[in-house]
Amino acid sequence: MPLQLINTNVEILAPVGSYESLQAAINAGANSIYFGVEQLNMRTRSSRSFEISDIKKVVSICKVNGLKAYLTLNTVMYEHDMQLLKSILKEAKNEGIHAVIAADFSVIEYCSQLGIPLHISTQANVSNIESVKFFSRYADVVVLARELTLQQIDSISKEIKRQQIKGPAGALIKIELFVHGALCMAISGKCYLSLHTQNASANRGACVQNCRRQYIVKDIEHEQELLIDNEYIMSPKDLCTIDILDQLIASGVDVLKIEGRSKGAEYVQIVTTCYREALASIRNGTYSADKIINWKLAMSKVYNRGFWEGYFLGRRLGEWTNNSGSAALEKKVYVGKGSKYYSKIGIGEFEIESGSIKMGDMLMITGPACGMVKERMSKLRVNGIETNVAVKGDKISFPFATKVTANNKLYKIVNSNNE
Amino acid sequence: MSKILHYRSKCIGCGFCIEQQPAYWCMSKKDGKATLINSVGKNGLFILSIPVIQVQQSKNIAAACPVRIIKVQ
Ligand code: SF4
Repeated sequence: MPLQLINTNVEILAPVGSYESLQAAINAGANSIYFGVEQLNMRTRSSRSFEISDIKKVVSICKVNGLKAYLTLNTVMYEHDMQLLKSILKEAKNEGIHAVIAADFSVIEYCSQLGIPLHISTQANVSNIESVKFFSRYADVVVLARELTLQQIDSISKEIKRQQIKGPAGALIKIELFVHGALCMAISGKCYLSLHTQNASANRGACVQNCRRQYIVKDIEHEQELLIDNEYIMSPKDLCTIDILDQLIASGVDVLKIEGRSKGAEYVQIVTTCYREALASIRNGTYSADKIINWKLAMSKVYNRGFWEGYFLGRRLGEWTNNSGSAALEKKVYVGKGSKYYSKIGIGEFEIESGSIKMGDMLMITGPACGMVKERMSKLRVNGIETNVAVKGDKISFPFATKVTANNKLYKIVNSNNE
Repeated sequence: MSKILHYRSKCIGCGFCIEQQPAYWCMSKKDGKATLINSVGKNGLFILSIPVIQVQQSKNIAAACPVRIIKVQ
């Protein structure tokens, strides 16, 4: 792609389900983050750490660090949710949220009444220019359906420019796309499997992930089991577009969105970093196959179900995962938590609560102040004395840049196939 | 006497308990979560004594609550 044709304002939008992930997104150089509060977002079951009162803190951390903060309010809304919805929006408005991400018309209407900038969620399944035009009365950014091909995206973005379709802010409508993370077997996440089996509606953020399990198919009449070569017949692999990112940028996308509000800080930091680096490489003309291999390797070490490019290249369904959980090459094993910080000398102390640590181990520390930090154990002090191993009950200390509290978790990184 | 326990803060307001047992549950218009009528609450846990005859149905509801925050003792 000629360099002058590259949209240099492309934004990287990271998922945030905790303060650790928020710091991880900042560390990784995300331009913006999205988060949900209370029960009105699509990750109600899997990540419930934020409440209305957290809006203020999240927005202010983002502002201090120069990031935009978007609030997700994209479940199906019922009559009884209206009061809570209004309280959330009022708080979001007061705190100066940069935008709300919504699909339900009640949220769209309230945001427009309150003058809160709006982004249309992928739950709205926007797949054509007329829908973009319709939503442009209310929203400045539209997250397109995840099932579109590059050609379809390209034609939508060209039409936005040709027809000069603008949002309430007066600028051309921006196109946002999911570029990385879990994909749902149902179109735009509209799935009822969880509701049928466990009374838990995915459309209220309570998905129990039936699709991620193994299944057998049986002919009841003849009691014969059908042979299927992969039992994970409903579980798609994760979306990963780092190797077609240049094509995605060329198709006119403005915001690259990463899925994963229920994933750990290490996932947020590594995946966001890889996409930021890839974007920079595309901008400066150094995007290459070698780099792609390295980014993919880095991302395969954190939570994933195997990768594919989704529907962008027009491939048909059938990229099912071989794994029930993560196919990550590395695994984090919890060993303990932070206990003390000697701020004058910059030494953190951690208490080992399970397993052991030895010299040379790769450690990972997560926390609201540090996000995610990896460190190889090169000097191990137990209860102040230098040694080679530390076991449960020991207090270890080592130099650490940010404050250590009980909210810091200490993990050991091991290969997934050997514990 | 048996009891229904409701760990209210994690309620997602699906409305199932209210549909099934309207005499015991109602939806709060304020925060969109289910309220266990006449229960006594402390630190987010709400408790209501129920007669034996209601135990089985309450257990069925507890098992069907999508976020498993209802317990029957
Ligand atoms: S069934 Fe559970 S989640 Fe649904 S309204 Fe009742 S308590 Fe809340």
